[in-house]
Amino acid sequence: MKPFAFFPGCLIPVRYPAMEFAIRQTLPKLGIEIVDLEGASCCPDPIYFKSKDKLAWLSVAARNLTLAEDLGLDIFTNCSGCTATLSEAYHLLKDDELRDKINKRLKRIGREYKGTSRVRHVATLVRDEAGYDAVRESVVRPLDGMKMAIHYGCHLLKPSKIMNVDDPNNPTVLENLVEAIGATPVRHRNWYLCCGKACQHEGIPLNMMHALLSTVEDVEAEILCLICPTCFSQFDHGQVKVSKHFDYDFHIPPVYYFQLLAFAQGVPYEKLGFDRQRFKPECLQRFAESSVHVEG
Amino acid sequence: MAKAKKSSNNDVVKVDFDFRRQLATKVEGNLASFCYQCGACVGDCPAATYSDEFNPREIMLKVLYGLGEELMVEDSVLWQCTNCYNCAERCPQDVKPAEVIISLKNMLADLGIYPPTVEKIIGTFEKTGRTTPLSPAVDRQREKFGLPPMQPVPMDEVSKLLEPAPGEEETE
Repeated sequence: MKPFAFFPGCLIPVRYPAMEFAIRQTLPKLGIEIVDLEGASCCPDPIYFKSKDKLAWLSVAARNLTLAEDLGLDIFTNCSGCTATLSEAYHLLKDDELRDKINKRLKRIGREYKGTSRVRHVATLVRDEAGYDAVRESVVRPLDGMKMAIHYGCHLLKPSKIMNVDDPNNPTVLENLVEAIGATPVRHRNWYLCCGKACQHEGIPLNMMHALLSTVEDVEAEILCLICPTCFSQFDHGQVKVSKHFDYDFHIPPVYYFQLLAFAQGVPYEKLGFDRQRFKPECLQRFAESSVHVEG
Repeated sequence: MAKAKKSSNNDVVKVDFDFRRQLATKVEGNLASFCYQCGACVGDCPAATYSDEFNPREIMLKVLYGLGEELMVEDSVLWQCTNCYNCAERCPQDVKPAEVIISLKNMLADLGIYPPTVEKIIGTFEKTGRTTPLSPAVDRQREKFGLPPMQPVPMDEVSKLLEPAPGEEETE
């Protein structure tokens, strides 16, 4: 088992604990040991607090990174927003002048940022440290024939010079992860579109989500598979608003990838918190009895 | 402070360098200087697609002119940015318009101007160290998944990092 420091952030542990549960269920089966970070704060978020004061934002991000440095471990997150903040801090703090500035602040609390802990999103951590074959081998009930639309979101991939994880114009990591659990990934026409959460305007995100959900429906996907809790909240809660606004009933369950992996690895549907979603992936139920190895 | 303004001849703009200097004190606040107005950022911008007001190229132009008073207002168009970074991917000059927009929002914050929802989330972070508030219901929900209760953030440490050091922004 290879150890990595786990940075759960705010949104997943507080609002979507089922996603954290799924991470903790699935990673050990892929040979990844989860080491909890003591004393972490919000990353801080790349939308709101960053807009107030980038220097303070960087200082708090650097503090979070030093917690992993203390353990001598690389860090992984389960949220694209946390990945964006921590990766950008890691990238920007390669600059000596900026690092000195931040370290002057960190000195107030007896800390120093060194830049020794790499940052990764759990999706790319699994790709790089476990590999798709290990995912495939961990599956006891493959989701054969299930069409899944892919939503990468923005902050896993972009800015690509900072994130450095995949081709932003033709990424493959999520498709490969979906294939590894036996499902069929489908790239709908608006796969590149943002969820719109950061936009502080009523109409723009509604139009964006409408465009995206329409193309997901066009390709007859049963699930919208994603890897970010912010995108999830947009497409779950937000889908109700889109349906109302455009007077059209969308029914596309958005699902966090690691909950799907946990299900495919045998965790019962009822234990995965899907009852808390507005749009429930009941289509998974048809696989519920498909393996004798299912854990109780 | 000198303000950029259009002269009686509408085609001539007097550049407000003070505004640009102020922006340049922010982290990566000088990126727009490299913009040559090609417009590559616009085609792939989801906010520009669905808004009549938002156009990243125009925002970069206003920065180049120092037309701060058009951006430093309540309900600023800056808040229509979705932060998707498509503009940064397309920019041949590495301007990162999304990042320039965040630096401009830092200037708005210096003036105490935020959309109400944004101000609320920032307040929650500054008070608790998290953007999502905790409650006993959160821990009850976590317990259903066998997860331990949430731990408080050591705010004695985090708060000390939020205060600027004297003169630290002036070197850029």
